Amino acid sequence: MEWDWNFVWQILPTLVEGVKITILATLLGSVLAAVVGMGIALARRSPNKFLSRPVGFLAEFIRGTPLLVQLYFIFFVLPDAGITLAPLVAGVIGLGLHYGTYTAEVYRAGIDNVPRGQWEAAKACNLSAPQTWTRIILPQALPPMIPALANYFIAMFKETPLLSAITVLELMNQAKSVANSSYRYIEPITLVGVFFLVISIPSVIFLRQLERRYSGRPGR
Amino acid sequence: MNIIKILAGTAGIAILASFGAPAPASADKLEDLRAQGFARVAIANEPPFTAVGADGKVSGAAPDVAREIFKRLGVADIVASISEYGAMIPGLQAGRHDAVTAGLFMKPERCEAVAYSEPVLCDAEAFLLKKGNPKGFVSYADIANDPTGTIGAPGGGTEEKLALEAGVPRDRVIVVPDGQSGLKMLQDGRIDAYSLPVLSINDLVKKANDPNLEVVAPVKGAPVYCDGAAFKKGDEALRDAYDVELAKLKKSGEFAKIIEPYGFSAAAAMSTSREKLCTAAK
Repeated sequence: MEWDWNFVWQILPTLVEGVKITILATLLGSVLAAVVGMGIALARRSPNKFLSRPVGFLAEFIRGTPLLVQLYFIFFVLPDAGITLAPLVAGVIGLGLHYGTYTAEVYRAGIDNVPRGQWEAAKACNLSAPQTWTRIILPQALPPMIPALANYFIAMFKETPLLSAITVLELMNQAKSVANSSYRYIEPITLVGVFFLVISIPSVIFLRQLERRYSGRPGR
Repeated sequence: MNIIKILAGTAGIAILASFGAPAPASADKLEDLRAQGFARVAIANEPPFTAVGADGKVSGAAPDVAREIFKRLGVADIVASISEYGAMIPGLQAGRHDAVTAGLFMKPERCEAVAYSEPVLCDAEAFLLKKGNPKGFVSYADIANDPTGTIGAPGGGTEEKLALEAGVPRDRVIVVPDGQSGLKMLQDGRIDAYSLPVLSINDLVKKANDPNLEVVAPVKGAPVYCDGAAFKKGDEALRDAYDVELAKLKKSGEFAKIIEPYGFSAAAAMSTSREKLCTAAK
């Protein structure tokens, strides 16, 4: 069991291909999670029980089941209903939906944190509901959410190896296929870990800066 | 300070020792296995090569042969664990299995990595396709030449390597975890062809019972491969003992009795040898 640098340089280009897919899946998944989370958060606040109850149940359901199971369902079971998605699309939807249910809670907390007086003031100024949301509530609610949201996106990034189960050729899958033909695990799997570190450590530092910038000054 | 140094030193030595001398008892591996009462083998759950029944019982031609030979060597039973093809050889090298009995076909680069027994199971390669073979695939090169052709194959299996060697780009060789997923992906139109050895494909088709499928066998240009029980390099003594019993089985005709019900040809395995298969042109 020794480390072979030549082998490392040889497999690096293949793994970089995988990193690209991993990053792409994370970015697309984050965008979807941000949008889905907002949708869920707003729907759950709706005074209409026929909207808020089912959405609430669905969100709890998705949050209460493992991502891997959901991925299998989207990829292998949905085709029976006539919906055949490309592996990456299925993966992004899985990540986006799963993390959307978590980000919904972040949104909820952020919105709840806007002082009641702001709602009342908006009403007193005769602002419509869309105006109240876009001009008054969200501009105050969003900044404190940013660090918490970014935290979930980093967590999602680290979950992307699950996509290898539905044949997405991301970093982990590339490493496995390298190991499959070389019979060596030490270099490919170590490199996978290194790649994740190289990306997640700067992300964490960036996250700290976000926190310093946005936290502790709610509702200016 | 000194105490810490000493502690660190001994810990270091202990770690080195555990790396440097893997299982000092491996001087006589067979004796260890006899004492232990079982041998750990890697299988793939790809009938008829290897199969795990609904009740958890391990069967299939390769484990059946291995069970019989280990019994004759005085090792009462085998304990099988399911593994991806690509993970079998690393698992063997890491000491997780005592042998691989899974239809892991002999190829020169594999022969360099492990110690194979004499040939056990031989089979050609096949494609499973949609009815009518819409893209007209009869060889791996056909798939490489079709810019949108995709092929599914087990990860680290011979078929994956054959497809890559024929020039199919990596992103069109889809690694499929097991037969059922491969079948499903073909039915859903996610892959154009699913490649496995002939007997495995036939078994899969029989179970699927889907009239919209078609088999191309054998695949043009792909040779007939044979597997053997694979042992860790350094366990040649065990391998040689295994070979002796395997030869006896072959001679007495019991070998044919075990593998032919599964559809394998005993004559094919007996007409070739490890030496021939391991030195075959890559």
